[in-house]
Amino acid sequence: MKKLIFIVLSVFVFSTLEVIGQCNSEAFSTQCIPKLATGFNFLKSYKIEKVAKEFVEYSYVFTKGTQYMINICAGDAATDGIVVSLYDSNRNKVASSKINGQFIQAIAYPCNTTGIYYIQYTFDGSTGYCGGSALGFKR
Amino acid sequence: MRIVFIGLLLVLLSACGGKPAKDVLEEVDSVQTEGPSISKEVIAGILQAIPSPLEISMLLKESGKKYNAGYLNSADNRSKYNSNYKKALNLGIYGTDLGYTNIYEQNQDGVKYMEAIKDMADGLNIGQFFDIETVGRLATNSKNLDSLLLITTQNFNSINNYLQTQNRANLSVLLLTGGWLEALHITCEVSNSNPGNKELQETIGEQKVILENIMLLLSFYKESDQNMASLLKDMEELKKAFDKVIITYTYKESTFEIVDGVMVIKDNSSSTIQISPEDINNIKTIADNIRIKIIS
Repeated sequence: MKKLIFIVLSVFVFSTLEVIGQCNSEAFSTQCIPKLATGFNFLKSYKIEKVAKEFVEYSYVFTKGTQYMINICAGDAATDGIVVSLYDSNRNKVASSKINGQFIQAIAYPCNTTGIYYIQYTFDGSTGYCGGSALGFKR
Repeated sequence: MRIVFIGLLLVLLSACGGKPAKDVLEEVDSVQTEGPSISKEVIAGILQAIPSPLEISMLLKESGKKYNAGYLNSADNRSKYNSNYKKALNLGIYGTDLGYTNIYEQNQDGVKYMEAIKDMADGLNIGQFFDIETVGRLATNSKNLDSLLLITTQNFNSINNYLQTQNRANLSVLLLTGGWLEALHITCEVSNSNPGNKELQETIGEQKVILENIMLLLSFYKESDQNMASLLKDMEELKKAFDKVIITYTYKESTFEIVDGVMVIKDNSSSTIQISPEDINNIKTIADNIRIKIIS
């Protein structure tokens, strides 16, 4: 009987730990949408979750004359060491949200050149390796 | 073997007095699930990058251009679209038209496009992602514009994500192609009635970048889907017209400042777009011909 109780408890504890350890990046990306600054219209939400690679990357065609905003959400820990960097079509770095050791939660980019841009998320001292992000635009 | 099978199917269905052979052929090809050899992740990555047609509608509204329902595909045309191929393309077209009516706060027209979208989406078994009641309620009050735009964008994002998880990314490609083509058509129409507007001309020229991505997506299906192969051929004609547009880019490192906790980038790079009135006419003519084939 004791053995049975032990097995049941073990299964419960391990499955609870697994749930705690799961990354709900979808929820984080949804949380990010209303956090876009006033005047920005929502375009995309991105899931940030470290799987195999050291970074998570998405791309989007930005348009000249349009201002874009990209933000990061990672629960109570604000950015939790998640850094967003923006690269142009030639892979020149346009922006990075980590500056002088400080993690910035949102970047605004008034685009001067239409083209494909790469939105790359990296982890710098992150504990959860899990977050979300939203992209918005305004004219 | 596949051609023989399709041939037999066409003979049988025509003999039964069913749908016209053209529609049957479109349906046979668009429902097939034999995917391209390229990975799902690559396709998803390119699909994600295609910009929302809403950006163009916003540009038109903010540059003071008046609303013109005549630019749009009539919602009454929806009964014409019987194949999945046509439904997916016109779902994209109606999506752009809805965005345009929403931004101009033309609620009565918007309701018609919502119904057309619901019809197309139901026909593709993705109607569950379009919450017509909520969207309809929000559309009745111009104060809800932000929420309306948010919900419609979320609905279309959900549709695209779902189609990809169901191995139906081909329909997602068609949806985005239709949406983009309609935005190009509207911009060309507005530019045509404002021939001196340089910003609009540049916007048309910039579509070269998006066309390249759309053609890449269509090319993945050219072996497995006859309709998409044919659409790709049409797009190749459009590309020839866009090839004359010259985009020059000069990179200069950006700078930034922190304003209210937000890093505001100053983009020091610049670009120029060379496009002549003749180029615009060619683009407009070819794009219109492709669109007519789709909406007819």
